[in-house]
Amino acid sequence: MSHHVSDEMLHAFVDGELDVAESENLIAQMRDNEALSQRVCDLSSLKNMVQLAYAAPPRYGSGAVHDRGLRRRRLVQRCAYACLFLTLGLSAGWMVRGVGSTEPVAYWEGREVVSLAVEADPGKILLHIDSGLPEKMLDVLDQAERYLDQAEAQGRAIQLEVVANSRGLNLLRAGFSPYADRIAQMRQRHANLHFIACSQSVARFAADGEDVELLPVAQTAPTAIGEIVSRLQQGWTYVRI
Amino acid sequence: MSLITRLIFGPPKSDLEVLRPALYRIAYAWSHDAALADDLVQETLSKAWTRRSQLRDAQAVKPWAVSIMHHCWLDHLRSRRDFDDVDSLHDTLEASVDTPEQCCDREQVIACVRAAVAQLPLAQRQVLTLVDLEEFAYSEVASILDIPIGTVMSRLSRARSALKLILQRKMQSATSRPTLRRVK
Repeated sequence: MSHHVSDEMLHAFVDGELDVAESENLIAQMRDNEALSQRVCDLSSLKNMVQLAYAAPPRYGSGAVHDRGLRRRRLVQRCAYACLFLTLGLSAGWMVRGVGSTEPVAYWEGREVVSLAVEADPGKILLHIDSGLPEKMLDVLDQAERYLDQAEAQGRAIQLEVVANSRGLNLLRAGFSPYADRIAQMRQRHANLHFIACSQSVARFAADGEDVELLPVAQTAPTAIGEIVSRLQQGWTYVRI
Repeated sequence: MSLITRLIFGPPKSDLEVLRPALYRIAYAWSHDAALADDLVQETLSKAWTRRSQLRDAQAVKPWAVSIMHHCWLDHLRSRRDFDDVDSLHDTLEASVDTPEQCCDREQVIACVRAAVAQLPLAQRQVLTLVDLEEFAYSEVASILDIPIGTVMSRLSRARSALKLILQRKMQSATSRPTLRRVK
């Protein structure tokens, strides 16, 4: 069953104004309605952006805290910038895989790439997978291995993270991942490779009654978007598979 | 301070002073003027201290102080000679900051978001900032601004729709920003 949910209702949900029953009802609708999930995601991100924009307002007549404030504002600026991109640039593919598309930000070997660094560091790469398609899973592992092998051959230090959320989480689920053995081998070969599962996605699967057991090599982050924003702040390059 | 003293004399000065950062953040988000925001906060804290005995619920000190600041803000607007109708002013006033386009050209994304907020009508801006920045409940916002809760919801909805539109428009031209680099 699906019926139109008003903007006011969604705002109330994002702002924690709904009671438990109303919230649960809306969450149930979101599971079956990707457009609705997208609206909630957009609203939530917008709210975060406003918070970030005013996290450190300029002080009046306070020279002593100027430098510290400036540094903090720069940090907040980057964070807000990341949110801007993730919300308005990449969010079309964030919760609603395959719905809508955005202008490519930049391309690296034919892949969409985002970096906030003035000089993006090729030694810090985050690969993001949110699709449950086996070919996408294979692709992300192939790419990771290729980057790692290239760096090794060139004697370059590299850090690489594979962040999985939404249906892409299946890549890291025991009993679901078609590549569990390969992932274990890769992790054994490369100490600088990490597989990160989105805890929010885990919770969502669990709420649907699914028993989620992650592969032993998988680590978790509270949210995939948080991990991505945090890494972007640190100069990592984001590649969406 | 004992409970009885607190009931009789209101919150101690430290309870009010601790609100200063939050009040300043709100005042700045309303006015986008650091000097004015500082003045508003000072005036608010001063009035709150004078009227401290009027506060009956110690848990509600923050919304109470913000409500005082809202009235200080209205007084300020009324004192401006170029506006004599605060209600109409609420629907039209925009802070005198750069447009989002100008800000993003200078790679100041924070300023870009602030400029987008500043483009909102003042009444919407107030509701948006109280809900988003300080996470006041809708009922608290209604009480602070002395408006019906339905008005809070509709203003918030309009504010976010407008904000999203402004930022989306901006982001379409921001994809070619020089901070993005091809990785080789």
